[in-house]
Amino acid sequence: MGLVDRGRLPKPLTSLFNLGRSYSLWVYQWGLACCAIEMGAAFGSPRYDVMRLGVIPLPASPRQADLVVISGTVTDKMAPAIKRLYEQMPEPKYVISMGSCANCGGPYWDSYSVTKGVDQIIPVDVYVPGCPPRPEALLEGIVLLQQRIKNEDMGARWRGEGTKPMSVVDGESAEKGGVPVVVN
Amino acid sequence: MSSTDTATEAPRDERRDGEMARITAALGAAVLDSLVKPNDDMWIRVSADAWRTTGETLKSLGYTYFCFLSGIDWLPSPFGKGEDDPTEPTPERDSTIKQGYTGGATRFQVITRVMQPFTSLGVNIKVDIDDSLAIDSWCSVYAGANWHERETHEMFGIGFNGHPDLRNMYLPSDFEGFPLRKDFPLLARIVKPWPGIVDVEPLPGDDEEEGEAS
Amino acid sequence: MTMLGDRQQLAYIAAQAADARVNVELETEGMTLNIGPQHPATHGTLRIIARLDGEQVVWAEPSAGYMHRGYEKLTEVRTYPQVTALVNRIDWLGSFANEVPFILAAEKLMGVEAPARAQHIRTILFELSRIANVSLFLGDLGVQLGAVTPVFFAFRDREYVLNLIEAATGGRFHPNFDRIGGLKDDLPAGFIDETRMVMKKLRTFCDQIEDLLFGNEIFQSRTRGIGVIPKDVALQYGLSGANLRASGVDWDLRRDQDLPMAWNKADWKVWTHPDGDSFARCWVRLQEVRESTKIVDQLLDTIPAGPVMAKVPKIIKVPEGEAWVSTENPLGEMGYYVVSQGDQGPFRVKIRSASFNNISIVPWVLKGVYVPDIITILASLYFILGDIDR
Repeated sequence: MGLVDRGRLPKPLTSLFNLGRSYSLWVYQWGLACCAIEMGAAFGSPRYDVMRLGVIPLPASPRQADLVVISGTVTDKMAPAIKRLYEQMPEPKYVISMGSCANCGGPYWDSYSVTKGVDQIIPVDVYVPGCPPRPEALLEGIVLLQQRIKNEDMGARWRGEGTKPMSVVDGESAEKGGVPVVVN
Repeated sequence: MSSTDTATEAPRDERRDGEMARITAALGAAVLDSLVKPNDDMWIRVSADAWRTTGETLKSLGYTYFCFLSGIDWLPSPFGKGEDDPTEPTPERDSTIKQGYTGGATRFQVITRVMQPFTSLGVNIKVDIDDSLAIDSWCSVYAGANWHERETHEMFGIGFNGHPDLRNMYLPSDFEGFPLRKDFPLLARIVKPWPGIVDVEPLPGDDEEEGEAS
Repeated sequence: MTMLGDRQQLAYIAAQAADARVNVELETEGMTLNIGPQHPATHGTLRIIARLDGEQVVWAEPSAGYMHRGYEKLTEVRTYPQVTALVNRIDWLGSFANEVPFILAAEKLMGVEAPARAQHIRTILFELSRIANVSLFLGDLGVQLGAVTPVFFAFRDREYVLNLIEAATGGRFHPNFDRIGGLKDDLPAGFIDETRMVMKKLRTFCDQIEDLLFGNEIFQSRTRGIGVIPKDVALQYGLSGANLRASGVDWDLRRDQDLPMAWNKADWKVWTHPDGDSFARCWVRLQEVRESTKIVDQLLDTIPAGPVMAKVPKIIKVPEGEAWVSTENPLGEMGYYVVSQGDQGPFRVKIRSASFNNISIVPWVLKGVYVPDIITILASLYFILGDIDR
């Protein structure tokens, strides 16, 4: 991947790669708490049907996944396992933090055993707020991520640059013509 | 001994009164105090020596369903309450230990509840835990007590003699402190009190007090 | 039936053999199998460590705590209305059912009783959350046994119920609708007709699941006679709900307890099964969904008129005392032991959640079973991680 990480990939090829990557996201479902059921509804139910977005929610192992959705309360006991499985994922890898608990601790902000945000352990690309977010919100988070992937400079991604987190805010981002609402 | 009904016009609950009489008769001197709230529930407090025999006796009386076992720390919290306004100095609070129903003499108590299936009659049993912080295990009486005792050990630091395996259940083994003791601080709250307790925007109706705070 | 008997006997012999092998010093080198903490076949983050001898489990131990959020400590620093918002998230599939016992305990301490209309609506929402909860179990059950279709059915029909809950309370998952002294709001317009229609759909769903799964030969041979829990063991471990009734104990707190709720105003049946095996537990749950739809249907006809909120002070201070209230939640008996010392928040809340007791039997019941049965038994015991760890 010498060409890619030095950023010397020709532009059309980059676009082609990005298009391909954004519509074949293999999602590793890290269901932890309440949000896991909403994630299950988004991924497994006929009503929301995530596969129409080009997302495949069935990898057998994190080693085959491009995207991990951390949905639910991350506890201090769970955190090492999350980190380990995140490290097993191949680059380039993306993280969606789903729900208030994974974003910041949520209703357990003062608990003694809850990690206040999964971003303390692994870098997060898209935050989906809500307690729990509706399945539609998760779908929007995925759409946001796909937009990012499409406009991404693969070299920068490989070098770990340009990964400002995004957030789904009240469904506005889609109405603004696909401009992601950037936090931080 | 019994602090059951004092007022004559108070509602009577013959089922529970009769059941309590049966229990106190069977346990004898082990019962330190008892309470029946009509149409509500039953409480007894037993001496620590008779803890295991209490379980065995109750089981033979038909209380075969094990509901829960836990502890109570009666020390008033030294860190104030959730409703304290963080912008005000902490109000003076009474720090005397005051036990609930059926009294008690120690800071820690273990409370457990067993029930008779079908009749849904249950009895809450309390026992004082002295400074040795240990009591007999109920594992051999009710197998279900196993996990509850593990949990209580982890949360309160109360030991259970004769328990096969008192490992931590919830927290990493290097966790320090016993979270459900009242003197265990919630660090996040000490660093930053809950912001929602202060009304930044006064509500339209109540303009007389509170109001702005930072 | 002979087949069942044989299987039970085999399981017994296997357990005895496993016991004997543990006690023999010249034990062969076993294998330790670790399932979890993140595994698609465990609902949530339960980790199971099993020592195997060949295909047989010699010793198994669930390792909980991956979802421990410290509820009992957090309740001590919150006010009563805040605790209601928190306890929704214990059993996240049947959220409304979690609020009810806590609110009832607080009401008991305050000496308040909700108006009849509020009690009625509470019961309806309670049963709706039971349907939402257990219907997902019925779908998930198939996945655990290798049948993928039922879960799509479950997610499809569950959405209807969630829509109802959302229409009434504003929250799909966590309604936070119950208040001390009643409910936040009345039912929305059109709720009753809509609910009737959905209940009809849910009964069809039950029939479909029964056809798809319960009559299936593979399903039967994988669940019948597997994971048998006798009556007295179940009681000792404090199993509750469908797990207990599947062992032949005819005990339902909705029927046998005197609570200010409206269950006694409907005509319904408590189902039990004598076998105590995995099949029995699944079957009892299926019947429970059916009964719940019946309860809802009947209660819809008889909602009394009146307010939905009793007169309670604006700032709730609960007088000193202790109260225990438990209800028959989707997963089993869920109860709150609330100790109040006259403040705005509780002094101590012991949360007795159903799954904690239901899962504490796992080391006992997994002894001597074969590896594939681990998943079946866990699926049929039906737990929710938030309900174990709290």
